[in-house]
Amino acid sequence: MAMLLSEKQITQLKRRVKETPHPREMILDVLHAIQDANGWISEEGVELAAIILGLSPLQVEEVATFYDKLYRRPVGRKVIHICDSICCWSRGSETLMLRLQQLLGIAPGETTADGMFTLLPTCCLGACAEAPAVRIGKTLYGNVAPEQLEAILDSERAEGQL
Amino acid sequence: MPTLIIDNLTVTVPEGTNILEAARQLGIEIPHFCHHEALGSVGACRLCAVEILAGPVKGIQMSCMVPAKDDMVVDTCSAEVLAYRAQVIEWLMINHPHDCPVCDEGGECQLQDMTVAGGHGIRRYSGPKRTHQNQNLGPFISHEMNRCIQCYRCVRTYQDYCGGTDFGVLGARQRLYFGRFNDGPLESPFAGNLVDVCPTGVFTDKTYRFKSRLWDLQEAPSICPHCSLGCAVIPGARYRELQRRRARTNKRTNGHFICDRGRFGYGYVNHPDRPRHPLVGHRRVTWQEGLAALQNKLQELGELFGAGSIGLLSSSRATLETQFLTKRWATSLGSDQVCFEAHPVRDQGARVAASQPLDRSASLEDVRNCDLAVLIGADPLSEAPMLALALRQAARRGARIVVADPRPVVLPMACERHAVSTDKLARLLRGLSRPQQSALPASLEELGGSLSQALLSARSPVLIGGTDLLGPQGILALLEAAEACSQPEHPCRTMLLLGGPNSFGGALLSADGPGFDSLLEGMEQGRIKALLCFEADPLADFPDRKRIRAALSRLDLLAVFDCAATATVQEADLFFPTTAVEESTGTLINNEGRMQTFEQVLSAGTPIAESAGGSHPPRFFTRDIPGTDPQPAWGTLGALMGRCADLGALRREIEKADARFAGLSLLDANGEGRRIAIPRSRPVALQPAVANAVAPDQLSLLVTETLFGSELLSSLSPCLQEAIPAPFVMLHPQDAMRLKLEEGKKVTLATPLGDLTLILRIQQDMVPGVAIVPRLRGTALESLVPGSEPLPCRIEKA
Repeated sequence: MAMLLSEKQITQLKRRVKETPHPREMILDVLHAIQDANGWISEEGVELAAIILGLSPLQVEEVATFYDKLYRRPVGRKVIHICDSICCWSRGSETLMLRLQQLLGIAPGETTADGMFTLLPTCCLGACAEAPAVRIGKTLYGNVAPEQLEAILDSERAEGQL
Repeated sequence: MPTLIIDNLTVTVPEGTNILEAARQLGIEIPHFCHHEALGSVGACRLCAVEILAGPVKGIQMSCMVPAKDDMVVDTCSAEVLAYRAQVIEWLMINHPHDCPVCDEGGECQLQDMTVAGGHGIRRYSGPKRTHQNQNLGPFISHEMNRCIQCYRCVRTYQDYCGGTDFGVLGARQRLYFGRFNDGPLESPFAGNLVDVCPTGVFTDKTYRFKSRLWDLQEAPSICPHCSLGCAVIPGARYRELQRRRARTNKRTNGHFICDRGRFGYGYVNHPDRPRHPLVGHRRVTWQEGLAALQNKLQELGELFGAGSIGLLSSSRATLETQFLTKRWATSLGSDQVCFEAHPVRDQGARVAASQPLDRSASLEDVRNCDLAVLIGADPLSEAPMLALALRQAARRGARIVVADPRPVVLPMACERHAVSTDKLARLLRGLSRPQQSALPASLEELGGSLSQALLSARSPVLIGGTDLLGPQGILALLEAAEACSQPEHPCRTMLLLGGPNSFGGALLSADGPGFDSLLEGMEQGRIKALLCFEADPLADFPDRKRIRAALSRLDLLAVFDCAATATVQEADLFFPTTAVEESTGTLINNEGRMQTFEQVLSAGTPIAESAGGSHPPRFFTRDIPGTDPQPAWGTLGALMGRCADLGALRREIEKADARFAGLSLLDANGEGRRIAIPRSRPVALQPAVANAVAPDQLSLLVTETLFGSELLSSLSPCLQEAIPAPFVMLHPQDAMRLKLEEGKKVTLATPLGDLTLILRIQQDMVPGVAIVPRLRGTALESLVPGSEPLPCRIEKA
């Protein structure tokens, strides 16, 4: 379990939890630290977070499963979130989703064979003004046209392989 | 007090009442799911929409979220509202599996009712439904997530009201899931309430699974007999079997909820080993033969040795009617050797407790509304579980909760803890009578003084004590401390935890009569030749088992009237079966002096499930129904005194004979009960407790009640067996380290009563120098009884 985070990170997080009046405020920070180190948050990851935070695993899991940018299953190196909410949908997100599936050869929820991309629909990226929007890894792409997708994926893949 | 118009009817309600509650006062039930009187409103289900025609807000609003205001005009069934509700219920039903025929909730399902009320009859949605994997939530609760309509009542009950941390809401939107992190038993001792609050069949009673529909059940208002709080329950029976218990609402006592001991402790009624026939020796006889044998023997003994040779013992399990007639019968026999509790400390403790001024005695409602609660030698979860829940509600409103106890008292919330050994509780109580300011109390007296100061300045303080640890002297000191901490405008109330559901009644009737120790001396000296036990189990309940066994064996006659196969029943010369609480009517007086009656749910009889051996009911016909011999103890007593069994007449007689029970005959089992009219007088001479000498290298052994397995009747319930812990002993880490013992390992506990092999639990929050064991009936720990002076003991590796 300790392998999920270094001893130093655990000590640091525990200290920050101690300094917070409400440990629950730190749930996201701890979960992000675990996800950054491992790519996703395993069952053991939730249990480790619970120990660091002094909460029950359930209390951590409530938060971990609420946010769709926290991954409770293994994902590729970069997760593609494609918004399917009203603004993006009305401006063609369905076409984007279909094109991405074609380009990657995977269905929503799946990961490419090379372990590079996982394709997920999301309910909002907070980018309604730039609809349709796609997030790949930590980069947000606004006003995406289907024909741009191939180039975007190529550059993301190239960057990911560095 | 706003006055408003709802559906052309005018109603005036207290400030802050929402429209949904205001309509209810007019008898108008607005359809709803998420609103619950105890949990409040969240406006999540969108079903309780009404149209507000005039008022500060107008148009369609959620009635649970809008407070009633003057001059509001509300229409609960305008065309627009009805259409709105029909749509809401239709989308709440989209994912519902429509599995009512195989769902245990059917017939008592709010979703069924609301779907019909909302006018949704034909399903238009034909797409796929979201489905979930269910979890195994332990022996009490079944989980069927597909039926969920996301009202959040379960989480609000489990986490907010009951303080559980292992069950909650996972996911979001369509993926919403109410469950645990992993499969496993729900940890909260109040988990059973999920069954009552869930408006659909997501959480159902596993012990009642696939047994009956509500409309097939015999139900009646009853009282839980598993501790001294007297919570309101509704047991349900069918086929001569008590199949479940659910919570009933009594705002003065339990509120809307009950604990799992109360909910799942019902199985003793159906126990296959329950003795159901009169026995002479171990031979089955008719009632007539049995009673004749009893009367002949009593007459013989009376002629030979005088009426004083007959001792009568009742218990805190017996109803007020039984206790009263026990006393009456003793008088008519001419014996003054009658008492109502086999445990002398509990007896004396209850006698002192019953002498508290009634306006100072706190109900659970008072505890829920207090702003400071100080618990001295009281462990709510073990001794009176619903008190823990009441304290949590107080804490949620900002009350300060202080616990002083030698045990690691667990409460469903954070509290202020002081580990104080049993012998030092008296010093703390002395301090409690002398208010003083001290920021950093250095001694127990100072701690007591500062708590006393806090009690004095609190608005609605409550001082809580347990009879087992404090003993009669301690209870008396606690009552005096409460007096010292009272201001005329805000008195310090007291709540005392007693041994059983009717300890208070026994304490009132016992007056200055003998305790069981004096009866025991009589038996040892040969003065008392006969002991008649009415729902009493002296062999298990008297703290010194060796002594009581020897005394019982000297008797010429031991007659036992009981509804369970107790230790004493095994030794009885004559046995007469009595009814369980659910099988008769009667009255119990709870720990605050509240008289509450209960009604008969079912007639005594061997469950068909048992008499048919789990198969089809027998196809041969007989005139008699098997197992119907048990009679209410008060009925049998009446018969022995040549009376007919008329409960109404008996209650009027009790009222007339004793002014303290005024109003008994007017009690309504569905009501809130009624406090007794006058407290008893303080017992005269209290026997000082004799402390056992503990050598420096020894530990002192403290026996304490525990949630599951201590109380007699619930410990017999098959449904609770899985929850009863394996025998264990608790030690402070200091002692464990000194003795080089490890958590979870087997240890040998050497006591004057013999050596026991137990599992060690290390507990940070208890006092050092003490070994704590729970009372667990039917295990190696059986002979250890709480409420006695700590014994010296030693612990080593097994």
